[in-house]
Amino acid sequence: MKKEERYRLWLNFAVKADYNAQTKLLNLFGTAEDVFQNAKETEIKKLLGEKSAKKIEDCANEAYIDNCLRYLEKNKIKTAVVGFENYPFLLSNIDDPPYVLYYRGTLKSNIEFPLAVIGSRRCNEYTKKVAEDFSKRLCENGACIVSGMAYGIDAVAAKGALSTKSDYPTIAVLAGGVDHIYPMENEHLYYEIIERGAVVAEWLPATHPERWHFPFRNRIMSGMSKGVLVAGAGEKSGTSTTVGRALEQGRDVFVVPGRIDDYHCKGSNAMIRDGYAKPVFDIDDILSEYGMHIRTEKKPIREVQEKDFEFEELLIIKLLQSNERSIDELAIMTKYDVLKLNSVLTDLEFSGIIKQLPGRLYQISNDIEFSDF
Amino acid sequence: MISQIKSFGLIGLIGYAISVEVCVSAGLPAFEIVGLPDTVVKESKERVRAALKSTGFEFPNGRITINLAPANTKKEGSVYDLPIAMGILEASGQIKKGLVSEYAFFGELGLKGDVRRVYGMLPMILEAKKLGIKKVFVPHDNANEAAYVDAVSVFSAKTLREIVDHFVYEECRIEAMPINSWSDESEVSVYDFAEIKGQEAAKRAAEIAVAGGHNILLAGTPGSGKTMLAKCIPSILPKLTFEEALEITAIHSVAGELGTDGIVKSRPFCAPHHSASAVALTGGGVKALPGCVSLAHMGVLFLDELPEFKRSTLEALRQPIEDGVVSVIRANAKSVYPADFMLVAAMNPCPCGNYGSRRVECRCTSSQITRYVNKISGPLLDRIDLHIEMTEVGFDDITSNEKSEPSATIRDRVQKARNIQLERFKNDGIRTNSQMDNKHIKKYCELSTEATAIMRRALEVYNLSARAYIRTLKVARTIADLAGNAEILPIHIKEAVQYRSMDSKYWGKGY
Repeated sequence: MKKEERYRLWLNFAVKADYNAQTKLLNLFGTAEDVFQNAKETEIKKLLGEKSAKKIEDCANEAYIDNCLRYLEKNKIKTAVVGFENYPFLLSNIDDPPYVLYYRGTLKSNIEFPLAVIGSRRCNEYTKKVAEDFSKRLCENGACIVSGMAYGIDAVAAKGALSTKSDYPTIAVLAGGVDHIYPMENEHLYYEIIERGAVVAEWLPATHPERWHFPFRNRIMSGMSKGVLVAGAGEKSGTSTTVGRALEQGRDVFVVPGRIDDYHCKGSNAMIRDGYAKPVFDIDDILSEYGMHIRTEKKPIREVQEKDFEFEELLIIKLLQSNERSIDELAIMTKYDVLKLNSVLTDLEFSGIIKQLPGRLYQISNDIEFSDF
Repeated sequence: MISQIKSFGLIGLIGYAISVEVCVSAGLPAFEIVGLPDTVVKESKERVRAALKSTGFEFPNGRITINLAPANTKKEGSVYDLPIAMGILEASGQIKKGLVSEYAFFGELGLKGDVRRVYGMLPMILEAKKLGIKKVFVPHDNANEAAYVDAVSVFSAKTLREIVDHFVYEECRIEAMPINSWSDESEVSVYDFAEIKGQEAAKRAAEIAVAGGHNILLAGTPGSGKTMLAKCIPSILPKLTFEEALEITAIHSVAGELGTDGIVKSRPFCAPHHSASAVALTGGGVKALPGCVSLAHMGVLFLDELPEFKRSTLEALRQPIEDGVVSVIRANAKSVYPADFMLVAAMNPCPCGNYGSRRVECRCTSSQITRYVNKISGPLLDRIDLHIEMTEVGFDDITSNEKSEPSATIRDRVQKARNIQLERFKNDGIRTNSQMDNKHIKKYCELSTEATAIMRRALEVYNLSARAYIRTLKVARTIADLAGNAEILPIHIKEAVQYRSMDSKYWGKGY
């Protein structure tokens, strides 16, 4: 570890990863080592106030730094300092890169094709399907999916990426400390990501994710990536702040369009209308922006043909192809009695052609390709 | 001089004979009631004194002792006012001795001598019939109820004067009430399945549930018709028989919930609010009165907003659901009440109610939804055989004039399926498919190779637990019964698994 890297880390700990404080101090003193040497200067007091200055003064000793390093090592947390080894190159080029990134897993400075997949925490089956499908197929084509590991789109995007055989599928950026797994439901996801990718955070370890952390987190997600793919966002959503930051940082924004009357897609559709996002229908639309082509042909897990089905099953498939439908709608449309309808639906579910959603809605499964329909 | 008057008391739902003994003797004026009377019975002396005086009788001077025999059971309520008054009249010679000996008396007295309604009349009269008592005097307001018991002549009166006149003057004789006869048509139901538009799938599920006596859980967005469906369910339950009506009436009579009809004419529908306590549901209080589970006996217990109920309240339901009876034990009372009801529970899919809706946005996070549905404990869920997800009702459904199938038609099918079950289980001591235990399932739910394969596939696809498997089998049995098939066919299993759909969607894993 280089000397300055060591003092940068110290500074980060001393001001509790406060971005503004670090900027002010480094502007004043030039290097973190100078801050360390001059920790007693009254200038610091003027700049940051009594309390913070006291804290900096108190911990300006080598023993403190060693303590911090021991703590990180014990908790298996690694660090990347801006301008030094392992720090993501793209991120270091934005206006306000975090001074220190804490991470678990493996972080590379040159990630081949990082792409953020974002969207609302509240999402519907369609936006989830989009996020999972796109993440998976982008990953198969060499992308590394950057997501936030929160509920909804974040989780399914990471899941999609992890379902591939890629050796560096995904990076998750947390809004709290890197060792603070939030939400707890995604614990298994967290460990899987560490195993094959990286979980990074700007905040000190063990920090609880606060509401106001999220915009900061969002700038890292877009900053790390070459482009941002919006799988779906409601009208008021954190997604729009991420997109805003991405545009400031000069990143591309892609949006998968949704139905115009779907509240889960209102915000994302508006991005297309307002002209700052490129609508994409397939991963090819994204890859071509970077001069790439689909490496693998799109391969649905199963291809099915009309002759594989009974008449009743075909009728229901045809009805579901246009839209998801409730059991009662199907009952009215098919005029089948409920016994028969239930049994046909069970057959189709058994063979994986359709799946059931909350509210007794039925939908064609994602991985089915109808060849001669 | 001593007089003995017949009357009855209640322990839980069982009536028992009480002999009201009155002794009027010379001595300092005193009025004592012995035989473990509660406060209401003790206060009876003031009512009796005033009633006798205002009716124009003489209240005897001297020492009056009343004994309620047997002396070692607790006597409660105001039902002994009238027997005490009759006893005093006889003991003091104001009525000729022996006139009232073949009658039993029931009733509360007002200060003006009017005879008022009492609770628990039916079980007491039933006991009177059993003991061979031929004539009873009851308050006018209880007459309808009492007159359903045959072999007992029921005389009713509004005032004490009328009763005494009945014995004293030939021309003032009161006619015995004609026996109220029971017919299937007596039953009345306000709600009918014909009123529910759309929701064919849910209606079918309700039919299956009723046919097999299965408990059900309705889930759906607000306004999807969960409550309406639940209210209609009593209308497709098998018709009430007279014996069943008497049993229900007895419970309602004891609880003081009986209307003026005198008998419960439709299957009860009990819908306690979700703030209800465990005691309100199972029964209790100082007198160990029946609770909602018993008031819903032979009918429907409807728990709306199931996750909002206190956990302890719901857990208290487990034993009655399993046993069909509830024993309520308090410091000074112990009763066993029947509680053989069909549980119909309803819930929103999430705290805001719109999860799974295509019209309104759900505002809940997935952790909120998980927390919400997890309020219902596993053991309770295990006692619910069918899950029904109600779909949203469209405008066209609401405004459609098309009449759906009326309850009567559905009930006929249900009755047929129930008859099949009665025939099948006649040697097993159970009545419906839902009551089958593993032994019965082995015996009556044998599957063909094809059907077994489907069942195995269902376990894989829906990740069903062993318990869910049993439940699915029971429901499949009922579906086969409805179809009149002796054997469970693959199609029946395929339908049955659709009613476990919520297991994996709400209580399963995944994000």
